[in-house]
Amino acid sequence: MYQDDVPALELRGLTKRYDDTRAGWRRQGTGGTLAVDNLDLEVHDGAFFGLLGPNGAGKTTAISAICNLIRVTAGEVLVFGEPITSLRARSWIGLAEQDVNLDRFLTVRETLIYHGGYFGMGKEEAESRAEEMIDAFDLRAKRDVRAPKLSGGQRRRLLLARALMHRPRLVILDEPTAGVDFELRQELWSYIRRLHAEGTTILLTTHYLEEAEALCEEIALIRGGKLIARDSADGLRERYEAANLSDVYVKAMRSA
Amino acid sequence: MEAHGHTEQLSGAQGMAWLAKRETLRVSKLWTQTVLAPVVSSLLFILVFGLSLSGRVRNVSGVEYDQFIVPGLIAMAMVQAAFSNNSSTMFQARFDRYINDILSSPMHPWQMTIGFVVGGIYRGLLIGVGLLALAIVLTGISIAHPAALIAVMALCLVLFAAFGTVVGIYAQSWDSSSFIANIVILPLAFVGGTFYSVELLPSPWEELSHFNPIFYMVQAMRFGLLGESDVSIWLSLGVTAALAVPAYVWAQWLFTTGRKLKA
Repeated sequence: MYQDDVPALELRGLTKRYDDTRAGWRRQGTGGTLAVDNLDLEVHDGAFFGLLGPNGAGKTTAISAICNLIRVTAGEVLVFGEPITSLRARSWIGLAEQDVNLDRFLTVRETLIYHGGYFGMGKEEAESRAEEMIDAFDLRAKRDVRAPKLSGGQRRRLLLARALMHRPRLVILDEPTAGVDFELRQELWSYIRRLHAEGTTILLTTHYLEEAEALCEEIALIRGGKLIARDSADGLRERYEAANLSDVYVKAMRSA
Repeated sequence: MEAHGHTEQLSGAQGMAWLAKRETLRVSKLWTQTVLAPVVSSLLFILVFGLSLSGRVRNVSGVEYDQFIVPGLIAMAMVQAAFSNNSSTMFQARFDRYINDILSSPMHPWQMTIGFVVGGIYRGLLIGVGLLALAIVLTGISIAHPAALIAVMALCLVLFAAFGTVVGIYAQSWDSSSFIANIVILPLAFVGGTFYSVELLPSPWEELSHFNPIFYMVQAMRFGLLGESDVSIWLSLGVTAALAVPAYVWAQWLFTTGRKLKA
């Protein structure tokens, strides 16, 4: 069962070095690009946490490590106290990736049902949950349409619906509103806010700083794979003597 | 709105079953390309080579020619389908990156391997059984040794579905997997004794045929269907198993280590 007072997410000395050479696997950990450098991070249960940084800062790499999508060079990832190698830890995470990565052979409904299945749901539960998500994300009219035939906004909605399908405790949103119009962005955030209000932990990366400021209770700034600051939006403004998060961001990145 | 799930112990078995179902669904959704097309092309071989040449080539090793070529054609169609199914499904999953949905899910690597391999086995089996049914009607062929037939079909399908999975994981482009299919598997299948008995070949071609792994699969299929083979059934099954095991272990190793699947 769940453990009380256990952080939703803990990164301990997380390091990832990408091997750029063709034979890089022979020299794992010695050459290549250091994307995440001994990163320690803790996100408490129920938090709305923002991870901000420029392109190449290591945000997506850190998320990939949390979701078992890369081979980490060193360090440890714990989700609600369990290592990411455990099936239970993985079942607690819902990921909406930055890039659209939908299965082209499946319809909207099948995409959700099969995802539920991969994450341990039975047929009936997955079917009923899929219908719930289809309504929640306004995909009813496209229920039996395959992913390649959806519009950009519909794909984004489906990605988010898929991430939430198995009722994860920790939802990771990697730039979920990149390239999304204002209306849909508001719609997505309203759903995410509701989800958070109900106790789901949210880890968000975004380039929209005003969005992070409005939504996140706590923000971490990273650059070059290292943590450079971490606090609430108010705390960061105070620390950097800045009027808003954009100013904080500029000052923090310059000083890093 | 939300009740957080999965506090119980997960085994990953459910996920594996859904992945296997997804892989078979893909085959079923594209059945005209995945099943009908290979059945029709193999059927054309039976009709053109078997029925038209059977008037001139009376029999080979005491077997009517139209029946003689059936086992090899079934083996060829099955192994090519199992291979191309899994090389394309794996490459597609990597290319579209929806493999991440599977890699991030609560499944053990061995369950992912089984889930993917099942698709190729399913497709190869549909083709094999379909062709066999048509061949029975068209040529009057019967099954001499059902147990041997089942064993060789199972081993061939595991071997080529696993090998297709490996190639799909390593492939850098669509051309990589079609290269293996067209430059390696197809020629080996053609010179594997499908259309002739290797005993009829002059030296050194007869001896060289014994280095062709598909030769043993064709021979085992022929033994299962006709009770006739150029080599011992045990040797054929042994060679096929000796290839199927490492191919499967290789696919499993890739899922376990994440090599080529995870950066």
